[in-house]
Amino acid sequence: MFLKDISISINKVDNEDKCSGKAKYVADYKLDGMLYAFTVRSSISKGNILTIEYPELPEGYFVVDHKDVTGKNIVKVIFDDMPVFTTGEITYLYEPISLIIGPEKEVLTDLVKRVKISYQEEEPLFDWTDSVIRYHFDKGEGLKAFENEEKIIFDYETSYQEQAYIETQGFIGYPEKDKVTLLGSIQCPYYVKNAVIQALGVDEDKVRIIQTTVGGAFGGKEEFPSLIGCQLAVAIKKINKPIQLIYEREEDMLVTTKRHPSRVHFEAVIKNNKIYGLKAVVGIDGGANIGLSGVVLSRALIACTGAYSIENLDISGDVFKTNTVPNGAFRGFGAPQMFFAIEMFFEHVAKTLGLDPLEFKLSHLAKQNDYTSTMGIFRDPVLMPEMVDKVIKESGYLAKRAQYEKEEFKGIGMSLFFHGCGFTGSGEQNHIKAKVKLKKDKDKVYILIAAVDMGQGVKTSFRKLVAHILDIDIERVIFDNPDTDFVPDSGPTVASRTMMIVGGIVARAAKEVKERFNEESFVVQKQYEQPDYIKYDEATFKGDAYPAYSWGVNVVEVEVDKDTYQVNVKKTWSVYDIGKAIDERIVMGQADGGLAQGLAYGYLEVMKHKQGKIMQKNMTDYIIPTAMDMCPMETYLFDNPYAYGPYGAKGVGELSLIGGAPAVAMAIEQAIKRKVFKIPVTPEYIMELIDNG
Amino acid sequence: MVKSYIPLTLDECLKILNQNEVKIVAGGTDMLIQNRSHTSMPIGFKTDVLYISNIEELKKIYEDEEFVYIGSCCSLEDIMENELVPVLLRDTILEMGSPAIRHTATLAGNIGNASPAGDSLVPMYLLDTLVEVRSINNVRKVALKDFITGVRRIDLNMDELITKVIIPKISYSNGYFKKVGPRLSDAISKLSFAGLYSVSNGVLKDIRFAFGAVNVTVVRRRELEEKLIGKKISEVKEMIEEILKWFEEDIKPIDDQRSNKEYRKKISLKLLRSFIENIE
Amino acid sequence: MAKIKFKLNGEFQEIYTNPSRRLLDVLRDDFNLTGPKEGCGEGECGACAVLMNGEIVNSCSVPFANVINKEIITIEGFSKTKRYEVIKDAFAEAGGVQCGFCTPGMIIATESLLNKNPNPTDFEIKIGLSGNLCRCTGYNLIIEAVKIAAKEGEGLW
Repeated sequence: MFLKDISISINKVDNEDKCSGKAKYVADYKLDGMLYAFTVRSSISKGNILTIEYPELPEGYFVVDHKDVTGKNIVKVIFDDMPVFTTGEITYLYEPISLIIGPEKEVLTDLVKRVKISYQEEEPLFDWTDSVIRYHFDKGEGLKAFENEEKIIFDYETSYQEQAYIETQGFIGYPEKDKVTLLGSIQCPYYVKNAVIQALGVDEDKVRIIQTTVGGAFGGKEEFPSLIGCQLAVAIKKINKPIQLIYEREEDMLVTTKRHPSRVHFEAVIKNNKIYGLKAVVGIDGGANIGLSGVVLSRALIACTGAYSIENLDISGDVFKTNTVPNGAFRGFGAPQMFFAIEMFFEHVAKTLGLDPLEFKLSHLAKQNDYTSTMGIFRDPVLMPEMVDKVIKESGYLAKRAQYEKEEFKGIGMSLFFHGCGFTGSGEQNHIKAKVKLKKDKDKVYILIAAVDMGQGVKTSFRKLVAHILDIDIERVIFDNPDTDFVPDSGPTVASRTMMIVGGIVARAAKEVKERFNEESFVVQKQYEQPDYIKYDEATFKGDAYPAYSWGVNVVEVEVDKDTYQVNVKKTWSVYDIGKAIDERIVMGQADGGLAQGLAYGYLEVMKHKQGKIMQKNMTDYIIPTAMDMCPMETYLFDNPYAYGPYGAKGVGELSLIGGAPAVAMAIEQAIKRKVFKIPVTPEYIMELIDNG
Repeated sequence: MVKSYIPLTLDECLKILNQNEVKIVAGGTDMLIQNRSHTSMPIGFKTDVLYISNIEELKKIYEDEEFVYIGSCCSLEDIMENELVPVLLRDTILEMGSPAIRHTATLAGNIGNASPAGDSLVPMYLLDTLVEVRSINNVRKVALKDFITGVRRIDLNMDELITKVIIPKISYSNGYFKKVGPRLSDAISKLSFAGLYSVSNGVLKDIRFAFGAVNVTVVRRRELEEKLIGKKISEVKEMIEEILKWFEEDIKPIDDQRSNKEYRKKISLKLLRSFIENIE
Repeated sequence: MAKIKFKLNGEFQEIYTNPSRRLLDVLRDDFNLTGPKEGCGEGECGACAVLMNGEIVNSCSVPFANVINKEIITIEGFSKTKRYEVIKDAFAEAGGVQCGFCTPGMIIATESLLNKNPNPTDFEIKIGLSGNLCRCTGYNLIIEAVKIAAKEGEGLW
């Protein structure tokens, strides 16, 4: 099969198995003699366990808790504040205390009910006052730009978002002599492996992690599975039997990581009708454990100027610790929160100055060779002006914007945004050090990487990439689900890095395979090589935070019901620059799906906690869009090849989620003629704004 | 383990009811969720169960001069597609759940469940629906509004079964149902409103309003409606503010994970206002 | 316990079991049919969808007692039909499969819809899919797939 242009779509390689029901997800596996694990959890938000009394266990039933941890009782996620099982301290409602394991679920249900725990309760903290990470950086004159100047000030708020993957979290595992093997619905096989090695205190050849088909992840299965994996591994080590630990939907919604709620305070100093200085104070709610919160905050702060160039900055942010469920990775990772805030801020500043918001934004648009917020440089062409022109042409934005200004309950909004592709700064070089292997064996070539296909089509796009470079039939390229016994650590499937970074290394390896193609069997291993130009200081937020940027524009048109204030999203138009599509149909699927999540983040998905308890704990109460709610979407791609990405590819996965919320919020703002300061813009919030306006 | 009864005829069913204390399950879309246990475990019923969905006699839809009769175990989808059924009820069902839910859910279940947010109840109250209830020795007909006595409480004796829903045939000029949910399908209502009116020569011959999910049961006040009957349309429109006040007391929604009471109350009244404003 | 006779994927079955089990569990645990999935356990997501007498139902919300004398078709059974081939090709052409967890349910929904309405409008397609949640695709490519299937499968439905 010879493809002229790699972007030309092919049928995805896993369609057959997924359509026919043959594809196996973790709950579809049955192991002989498999036991089930139920989790015992705290019923208070803060305090200590005084006594815990388990009912008498029938033969074949076990309790597994912190005393059974043979290694370090800490889940390996940057900070040492998440135990595998608590030793007694409780920091959030439903914190895991132990597992009860056995063959019959009826018995387990009864046993869990009869566990008696007495606590010494303490007053939980829900306010954002305990800052555990604080970052600050400035640019240009920093705070000096604000001295004695008039400021325009606005505050913004975003809420939880739950990943709501249709397949819940879980693992099954089994012992093999002195080795523990876990199969799970995960994004990062090596995150889990390294965490389990630490929790068991064993050598790395004693743990094997295999990815099962993943039914959606969106970041929710990035770091959280390490906790379940550690608990399960400890249990398997103790009991020496196969065990299944799968969360049902309610448990999953109540206890797994969500998107960090945020508060953003902006102040702007205006000179010559432009923002001369921007001050931002950002807060995110990390929940009870820090986890990845610092990295989420970093990304948010780096995105503080949006798609715009601003000379003088004073940017600070905090991760607050509260006694709520720990928050974590979700597609966008801090950028959706920040882009909502900055896009609305530009809109509101323009309105305050009596200027047209789009003109105002365009006059600030970042250009090639401009400094980024961290004094890096936008080295590659920035096609945003052309992309904006395209979206205006396709959507009729200007005419509609003018018309809806004079009408009630109709609105159209445009958001401009980017996503920094890959890990921040030198993360790839210093932390991940990705390795890939390509194995040629007779007429087949095996892709050996730890990248996980969670629906985004990695299996198809990588096989296509290698087949294209080697100029062979895609059927001869094999890519099995990652198994840490066979694949090197190419890094986690996160940060929109997979095609750009891992694909880049695979492409280099494939070129060497091509040169040696006459040899019958051999393995090529390649490691990540950081381009020289990437220099970044994490501590001072100075330098090139990302090697490349993908850019986007969303236009969203809405109608708001005059009686019920329900929002009807009528249509969207999007233009994206992701470098080069390795498969256009796959990219379009990502574009639709990401925008659907971004829109819903902006107007539909409501999740709140009350005294530390998540109030929307199932798919009935947590509202994600159905087919009835989805509007037609038009998407256009602009090619803008990136030198270091395979065939010019940059990051795709997260970009399309970033712009939906601000665009829909701006459209609603026009429709109701009131300024919007928080998302989701629910009918209840609209009623509040209209009544108080 | 609890006992399960699976009668195939109505007679068999009534005999079982006469002799045993059972929980009645029709389609199961509510009961299975309310009583669910864990994956791979049977539903956690605490009492014996009587499954009535296999009784063909309870699945007929027919009419006579005055009424439409709907078997209590007809699927919502079958009811929705049957032209004998009043349009208002059919339109309401289209907004309920999803095709999968409509293929198994029943009115017996909706009524038996007596949820404050039950959508089908709203047009049924509006249309003065009756339920037929049978026991082995007795048949009685009760007005739906009297049959549902509170949240998940119905006037059903231990040995009785809801066998039919009976809807008086009426003609009217215009009927309207509005469900306000968090999304456009597969959703529990935050609130709902149904209205109908009959107009002749600019005079109201009949007018009815019902509100759902804003009190423990559907809100409908016939005595208030009667105050408007016989009035000219223009007169009624002039009374809008007064009419809204009539319902101040009865529209008593709650705060919950889906919405808040201010929104539910305000929007209920807005829908009523719009409905009246649009009478012609 | 009760003896329940029903037809499953074309074959008559008779099993003796607790009628208060969910149909989903009987299919997955007793018959090893793992095509229908548990996504929410409350009849909301449609990942457990199967055909009962040709119509889509959520098997997590169907008590096994209600399956007496009914015909159940899971994705495994349906995948052996010509109609399935057309739907599967349509999903591939449209790009309507991402993580795949909702896919068997979506295909069941498509069959249930086209079986009753071989030429649905866009709105009718949306209604037909309204009980199947997808988090990956944003639905439009799946709606497109159903349209292609309706067109390509002319005469099959």
